[in-house]
Amino acid sequence: MSQPSDGNKRPKRPRGKVRYIEGKCIACGGVCQSACPFDAIDINDQGEPIIHLAKCNGCRKCIKVCPTEAIELFYTPEEEKILSEYYKTDDIKKTAAKLSTIEDWKGVWVFVEQIGGHAHSVSWELLGVGRTLASDLNVELAAFLLGNDIGNLAEEAFGYGADKVYIIDDPMLNHYQTATYLHGCVSLIRKYKPEIVLMGATGLGRDLAGAVATELRTGLTADCTGLTISKEDRLLEQTRPAFGGNIMATILSETARPQMASVRPRVMSKREFQQGRSGEIVRESFLLPEQTLLTKILEIIPTQSQSSVNLAAANIIVSGGRGMMAPENFAMLKELADLLGGVVGASRSAVDAGWMPHAHQVGQTGKTVKPKLYIACGISGAIQHLVGMQTSDYIIAINKDKNAPIFEVAHLGIVGNVFEIVPAMIAQLKQKLSHAENKSKIAV
Amino acid sequence: MHIIVPVKMVPDTTLVKIDPETNTLVREGVPFITNPFDTHAIEEALRLKDRYDAHVTVISMGPPSAEWVLRRALSLGADQAILLSDRVFGGADTLATSKVLSEAIKRLHNEHPVDLIICGMQTIDGDTAQVGPGIACRMKFTQLTLVDRILQLDLAQKRIQVRRKLEEYYESVEASLPALLTVVREINSLRYPTVPKKLESAETMIPVWSNEILKLDPNTIGLKGSPTNVRRIFAPQREKGEIIDAMGDNKDAAVNMIIDKLFEWNIVIQN
Amino acid sequence: MFVGQFIFAVLFIAALIFFAFNFYRLLALLCLGRWENRFDFLLTRLKNMFVYAFGQLRVIERPYGVNHLLIFWGFLTLLALNAEFLISGIFPAFSLSFIGRIPYGLLLTATEIMSLIVLISVLIAVIRRLFFRPAYIELSADAFIILFMIAALMVAYFGYHAGEIHLGKTDWAGWMPVSGMVANLFSSVSTEPTVQTVTHLCWWIHALVLLAFLNYLPYSKHLHVITAIPNCFFRSFDYAKTVPRLIFQRGNEFGISRITQFTWKNLLDFMSCTECGRCQDGCPANHTGKTLNPRDLIHRGKLNLFTNGRSILAGRPLDSLLPTPADAEMNSPLIGNGENSISEADLWHCTTCGACMTNCPVFIEHVPKIIEMRRHLVMEQSKFPEELTNFFMNSEQRFNPWGLAPTDRAKWAQDLPVPFVEEGKPVEYLFFVGCSGAYDSRSKNVVTSVAKIFNHAGLSWGILGNEEKCCGDSLRRLGNEYVFEQLARDNIATFRKYGITKIVTHCPHGYSTLKNDYAQFGGEFEVLHHSQLIDQLIREGKLTLSKKSNGTTVFHDSCYLARYNEITEAPRNVLKGTQSGSGFVEMPRHGQNGFCCGAGGGRMWLEELEGKRINTERTEEALATGANTIAVACPFCMTMFEDGLKDLDVVDQVHVKDIAELVAESME
Repeated sequence: MSQPSDGNKRPKRPRGKVRYIEGKCIACGGVCQSACPFDAIDINDQGEPIIHLAKCNGCRKCIKVCPTEAIELFYTPEEEKILSEYYKTDDIKKTAAKLSTIEDWKGVWVFVEQIGGHAHSVSWELLGVGRTLASDLNVELAAFLLGNDIGNLAEEAFGYGADKVYIIDDPMLNHYQTATYLHGCVSLIRKYKPEIVLMGATGLGRDLAGAVATELRTGLTADCTGLTISKEDRLLEQTRPAFGGNIMATILSETARPQMASVRPRVMSKREFQQGRSGEIVRESFLLPEQTLLTKILEIIPTQSQSSVNLAAANIIVSGGRGMMAPENFAMLKELADLLGGVVGASRSAVDAGWMPHAHQVGQTGKTVKPKLYIACGISGAIQHLVGMQTSDYIIAINKDKNAPIFEVAHLGIVGNVFEIVPAMIAQLKQKLSHAENKSKIAV
Repeated sequence: MHIIVPVKMVPDTTLVKIDPETNTLVREGVPFITNPFDTHAIEEALRLKDRYDAHVTVISMGPPSAEWVLRRALSLGADQAILLSDRVFGGADTLATSKVLSEAIKRLHNEHPVDLIICGMQTIDGDTAQVGPGIACRMKFTQLTLVDRILQLDLAQKRIQVRRKLEEYYESVEASLPALLTVVREINSLRYPTVPKKLESAETMIPVWSNEILKLDPNTIGLKGSPTNVRRIFAPQREKGEIIDAMGDNKDAAVNMIIDKLFEWNIVIQN
Repeated sequence: MFVGQFIFAVLFIAALIFFAFNFYRLLALLCLGRWENRFDFLLTRLKNMFVYAFGQLRVIERPYGVNHLLIFWGFLTLLALNAEFLISGIFPAFSLSFIGRIPYGLLLTATEIMSLIVLISVLIAVIRRLFFRPAYIELSADAFIILFMIAALMVAYFGYHAGEIHLGKTDWAGWMPVSGMVANLFSSVSTEPTVQTVTHLCWWIHALVLLAFLNYLPYSKHLHVITAIPNCFFRSFDYAKTVPRLIFQRGNEFGISRITQFTWKNLLDFMSCTECGRCQDGCPANHTGKTLNPRDLIHRGKLNLFTNGRSILAGRPLDSLLPTPADAEMNSPLIGNGENSISEADLWHCTTCGACMTNCPVFIEHVPKIIEMRRHLVMEQSKFPEELTNFFMNSEQRFNPWGLAPTDRAKWAQDLPVPFVEEGKPVEYLFFVGCSGAYDSRSKNVVTSVAKIFNHAGLSWGILGNEEKCCGDSLRRLGNEYVFEQLARDNIATFRKYGITKIVTHCPHGYSTLKNDYAQFGGEFEVLHHSQLIDQLIREGKLTLSKKSNGTTVFHDSCYLARYNEITEAPRNVLKGTQSGSGFVEMPRHGQNGFCCGAGGGRMWLEELEGKRINTERTEEALATGANTIAVACPFCMTMFEDGLKDLDVVDQVHVKDIAELVAESME
């Protein structure tokens, strides 16, 4: 007796179904849902996929796009049975789907950001990482420069590692304006087709990069902390923090060129400057389309000229609390803050005691701050203070009570006497800053 | 005057934590909120509404549940809200997002010309600051990022003056309308909705525009229209807090430690 | 005499009509308020009226209260003979003597004696006001006018009767000892015609002052003579520990911004104020130099009612006692800066400590009125001190005041033997940790102590962990009922999910809110404060405190325990149990007369920029007892004292401890 139904025909290979692995979803925004050609995925209120097995046909598109491998393929028991009968040799096709035009784009470019002929150091840092990328790809590293009367910067760019420098030197480009710089950048990139373009994630760089990428309809990854080349497919792997820095994501731009990335200052290291290193300079002329929307800069206002203290916008805050003992002791915090280019803050009890005005108060009923560095001096860290400053990038706490709650949030906690530590810090900083004659400086 | 404020529903990333044992993201109990930067954009639009009697439209691209973000804006005083929701919009990166948003704005612009688009400077989940410039570029509006103060608005002359907050200085700029502004948090302090407004906004019908309405090429939106994609995600290395006892003799070592950290954290740098 | 009779008759009738008209107007003003049923439990109400209005139980709690009691009872005694006096003014033959010789004689004697007592009391009152006036009594012409009138009545009474005795016109001389003495005085100094004139004059003075008095009342603070008695009758039986629930539906109004939105009983409150100043005396805000004065607030309410109410009444016929029409225009805003308005700043100064209400002899309820007006400002206007924006948003989005991660709520319990409640596994007590206990590092030590105590006593207990949300106390007192209701509903649903029946809190605010406020939302649970439960555990022998301390300890009563819930003994029992000797001392203001720490009513989240800080005042009072431990039973009080000690620079000498910490230290 033979099997009645599938005696002659080989069974169709089961495709399986997909399922969600509980807890792995990060609510990326419904990538899987969007990728599913069969509308088999819905997203719940938590942002997680709900997979309708009846609709799923096992195409695996969702698995491919999921950044956290939160979806997996499985076979139903029936399918497993069929599979076991199915023959074992299954060719896995390696398909490198590449658009032909992508091969036209070659080279690594770094945008040199300058104001008044002075380059922002982030540009040289980008040349540092750009050098490595270019070597890995075995292509040229170029700097591109826009401005007025900026020829001298080309030499600097060579010194920091550029093989080639593209320059548009035009009076129209004297001050940065989105419209003019956008036009300049886009025309250069369209003409010379670099495969990678790097920009500094400064105020100016972010203003420009977003516009350039949109105009070129290409991908842009902001605030990268790591840039490498993937050996197999020559793609730029752009690693950046996401979810408020809680996770790192590696991002690719597979289908569009150039691959654009921005990097914050002081994330990459610049190369040793090589005196006398030179290369080819390519100059391009600047022709602005008529209907360009121009802006007019009326005034540049130095940050320091702001008379009132702006805690919320400060990058460095040196704060004092009850432990400062007396109002006159805030002078030393001021000195430290000045040295670091920061401002002075205060806890509620210091403000209540009348030692500092209310405008300096950090906390629940004062200002909420998120500076790069927060130094808490003689502050015990009552909850109402902590909620105002605990998301600072770095926190240094100096307090004589080792059980003070401030130490729970500090990146560096010093159990000690503020009146010894702070003057010693000031002395050391002064020495470091003057001794090295401009060798070190305040970075933020 | 017509002002558009694009807003985004985001997970409250400050509450997201990494499970130190499994190294996975703990999202349980993490609510979705209006992107905090966008709340300041809404506030600024409402302040202009108070002064110039502007019509404020809020739009958001997101899942159907993002509707409440729009309701919140309505309860604060926005006049109109539109949700852009379609499964084909999903999985979008900043380029594809700016596409959908700008196409929706174009539709609104045709009905009632837009003078200003106000965006938050960035979102807290993406931190890219790219969608604002993307919309400005696609709309061909003047682009003014990092605005911390609107200095002057001359509707007759179609001019605007703003102060921009850059790293080392402020810059006051004059530009023509229509313009797109991205605003920093310091631009204003937020208002709080009244209960009657909350109740009213809870009952407002919010139109949902799917791609059947926008009719965009599926290859330019959503996942397909996104040139970037995430290859992998991993937990970052975390620095643990250090406590040093500097009572007595340890003082100098502690001070050296602080100075070293200042260099390590790039607060002070070697040139 | 016929002309005199005629003139008096006209004056008497005019005065009566005028009084009736005034009385009617007051009634009409009350009718402008919203309806509220206060006609239930009539017997209890009658009892209250006798105890507090006639017995003046609250009046006599304070010095000179007896003085007031005597004047009051003097007047009651005088009532009969004054009625006789007025009627006999028209019908000279009228006399009450028909009740019998001895009763009438006794009435005469009693009136004589009471009149003398009243006269003396009035003199004491005048002397006190002139020479020993306490700060909370305002020097007002009004008071002197009334005192003068009373004195004049008494003097004229004696003068008239003495004259009659002297002239031999009465048969009752033997029953009138005081008038008899005055009559003797007459005989020694005066001639007969003079006495006749004086007698006549006294009669007219007595008659005119009596009629004037009757009609002066409604225009002065002595309106309370008419209104205080019904106000005691209609009082809330319970201390006003909560505010009414609102229905969040479109078209409803949230909070109060017009005087006529109050209920008639609230309006009667405004009319009943005697301006005795006792509320002001107990008020922590007023004591420390803030502009809020509860007496003045009620007075302004009255003025607002009179100005707005009278203009509403002016536009309608006399014969209608109708409620306020919806479109009635208010000339003076209730909340504002005019002299008939209550200022926003005053509303925010209130700590809702309730001292004003415990002190008020006629049961005026200040705090619920303040909360109703805050509700209007917060929910209808979004007008509040800017510090609150953060507080409101944090409470709404992250369910705690500081905006800390809801997922960190159970973090304090991480490495401790703290059980979590589970579905299907009921525990006897839910320990509601509250926001301070969960997040504030100082309070974490308190809840850790509570956990230690419960475990030591072998209690069946658990916590909700991350599912717990803020109880909403501050939100409710600050007027943000909308968010409060959301939190209350969520918490109640969670309690039900785990089958909770008994809840214990270490925070009086959570305690009072769960116990008194949640009931409005169907949350009926048995709620205990940790002081009560610990007291009970000690009495049951489940806790033994062997390591007694020998320092000096003073206990600070939390308003939400002592006043709101009458819990004063339990914490003291517990504290005394931790002490070896007699080192337990009291502050001058304690128990239900305690003085607020300054953090109640949402003041915890507000800056205190005006005047002296309340916590400094209270800390100084505690330090003056010489105690080296200040014991508290509330996380807010804890914070306020910690700050106070820091401000006064005595952190190293004096410590603040929660009673749970002291108990845990005393356990083996």
